[in-house]
Amino acid sequence: MLRKLCQKAFKKSIWVYHANSGGCNGCDIEVLNVLTPYYDVERFGIKLVGSPRHADVMLCQGPALRSTAKALERAYQAMPAPKLVFAIGSCACGGGIWYDSYSVIGPIDKIIPVDFYVPGCPPRPEAIVYGVAVALGVVDKKVAPVKLKQLEFPIARYHPEDLQCEDGMVVYRKLDRI
Amino acid sequence: MISKLKEAIICLKAGKVTLPYPFEAAPVPGRFRGRPVFHIERCIGCGGCANNCPAREILISDVCQEIRVMRYLGQRCTYCGRCADVCPEHAITMSGEFETATNDKKDLQQELEVFMGTCQRCGRCFAAPGPLEQLMMKGYRMDDLPAGRWIYKSKSFVFSEGLPDVEIELD
Amino acid sequence: MQRTQRLRSGYAEKAETEDSMSLAILKGIANVILVLAAAPFFEGLIRKVTARIQSRQGPPLWQPYLDLLKLFGKEDIESGESPVMQRLGACLSLAAVLTLAWFVPMGAAAPLSEAGDAILVIYLLTLCGVSTLLAGLAAGSTYSLFGVSREMMCMLTLEPLLAVAMIVAAVEAGSLRLNSVLGASVYSLESLPVAGVLMLVVLLFSLQAFVGRVPFDTAEAETEIMEGALIEYSGPKLGLFKYAQMSKLFVYCALLVGVFFPWGSTWPYPIALVLLLLKVAVLVLLITVLGATHARYRIDQAIRYYAALMVLSLVALTLALVGF
Repeated sequence: MLRKLCQKAFKKSIWVYHANSGGCNGCDIEVLNVLTPYYDVERFGIKLVGSPRHADVMLCQGPALRSTAKALERAYQAMPAPKLVFAIGSCACGGGIWYDSYSVIGPIDKIIPVDFYVPGCPPRPEAIVYGVAVALGVVDKKVAPVKLKQLEFPIARYHPEDLQCEDGMVVYRKLDRI
Repeated sequence: MISKLKEAIICLKAGKVTLPYPFEAAPVPGRFRGRPVFHIERCIGCGGCANNCPAREILISDVCQEIRVMRYLGQRCTYCGRCADVCPEHAITMSGEFETATNDKKDLQQELEVFMGTCQRCGRCFAAPGPLEQLMMKGYRMDDLPAGRWIYKSKSFVFSEGLPDVEIELD
Repeated sequence: MQRTQRLRSGYAEKAETEDSMSLAILKGIANVILVLAAAPFFEGLIRKVTARIQSRQGPPLWQPYLDLLKLFGKEDIESGESPVMQRLGACLSLAAVLTLAWFVPMGAAAPLSEAGDAILVIYLLTLCGVSTLLAGLAAGSTYSLFGVSREMMCMLTLEPLLAVAMIVAAVEAGSLRLNSVLGASVYSLESLPVAGVLMLVVLLFSLQAFVGRVPFDTAEAETEIMEGALIEYSGPKLGLFKYAQMSKLFVYCALLVGVFFPWGSTWPYPIALVLLLLKVAVLVLLITVLGATHARYRIDQAIRYYAALMVLSLVALTLALVGF
């Protein structure tokens, strides 16, 4: 019974640890903006703490770099269960525009499991508050995959193994099979 | 000490400035760049958006001569708006949507299947000199759609595997 | 234990019967329950009023109750140099504060006031600080040792202030027994004693430092600058430490109210209880306003401030001894 009470209290009092693993600090500033009087997030019981051992949610921003990958993993392991990880900003979600740079491993979900993504560069403070609300189950998410077609008709396909190289040009041979 | 009490009273006079955000919608300023939205009825499949995206976020794969599949992965998009600026048909608009939080990255994808006009003799060699030639993505494209990987060389399927992922020792 | 204490100190006034011993135990348990139930509410009041001063909405008043519930439900990661000492430190901090509650009058006379004297109260107050030191040393990381050294510096200059305050009151009253110390407040003698008033002023100025709030929280809850002594604690142990900090606030304010503002404490129990809560709320509001309008002091500025207060309190002590 006490366990259920603790679980219910978990949603209303979340302590957040902010981890920046190599970002440009743009999302950093937006995260700190979320704690200011305009977008006050402390009214939901969310508090910023200084140590991952005190925290329930880790807000990560910045891509995973070679130099900070180990530190990020240790910060994740230092958090006591139950824990959540939010990836804030397009660098943390997918590597950002630095995804193929020499020092960047990629998005942070190559190192630690991520629960919620908040894309944007940087995401508006309202977008971060919305992400927190989606995580708490207060609102539903508004995005879904979209697939659009101009025409639909059966047509013969080209297969990559039918590509051939003929004096310096790559040529498709159109076949009858699909 | 008294000055601090006066300071507290002055701060209290400002009242409560918190915006009631999740309970009321927050309006967006006029030229705000949110998520790009692709309009299929205007797209001609030139690939200018993919060529100019700084994060290589739009992948193009030619299923066959007449169908080109363009996929926008939302994960790395920095909402810079270059694709919308460059598109010759204004088929991309930067909408005001910023509430894009999700627990699965695949929710952010948009995929377009575009019908490409073909030359009756040899396929796709429409000679159209002009700005379109400068924008266009040239040649056939086979980006790795299932894995979400941008393939740099069009000959890579014939000669090599494509660029491997960078290998790190994460001991 | 009650009876041997009495025989040793030779009280001859009242012959305590079994009834009044169990009454004392009941009053003690009521005090402890009051501290446990009311302390998070005052912490919530602090956070809400701080938020309003900063022009934002702030958490609901019962937020610390939810915080503590959540902390007790989390996984406990034991890391650091010595887990046994960590467990000991966590339990000791809350236990010291709750033991202190048996000696503070809350609505009625203090339950164990005949079993202990002023020196015991001073030692219990010091024990609360020492348990934080134990906590930091048991964790053994660099940041927690930082927090421990700062806490030690603060304790060395602050605990003598409290001791001198109790001793001034004891000198006024002529004995160290707790009920006479608590009864010999500033107002019960014929002429207003200068030493007592000076002591009241000193204690009001150092109240902020005793409960460890901005601008003086260099040692305890400084998770903003260095993580402080509690960096390695997670889950239930952190919950115990936070509870101890909140209870310390309440017990200190109640002690101050009991010594310096005891009007109305002779009325029947429920009314006196409500009056006590109101007076503690006024003190807590004072702490909040000071906390929301000041920046944190550096450790050397803080020590200089305490040293000045120390000089004032020694002046008060000499005045009391001389006879003022």
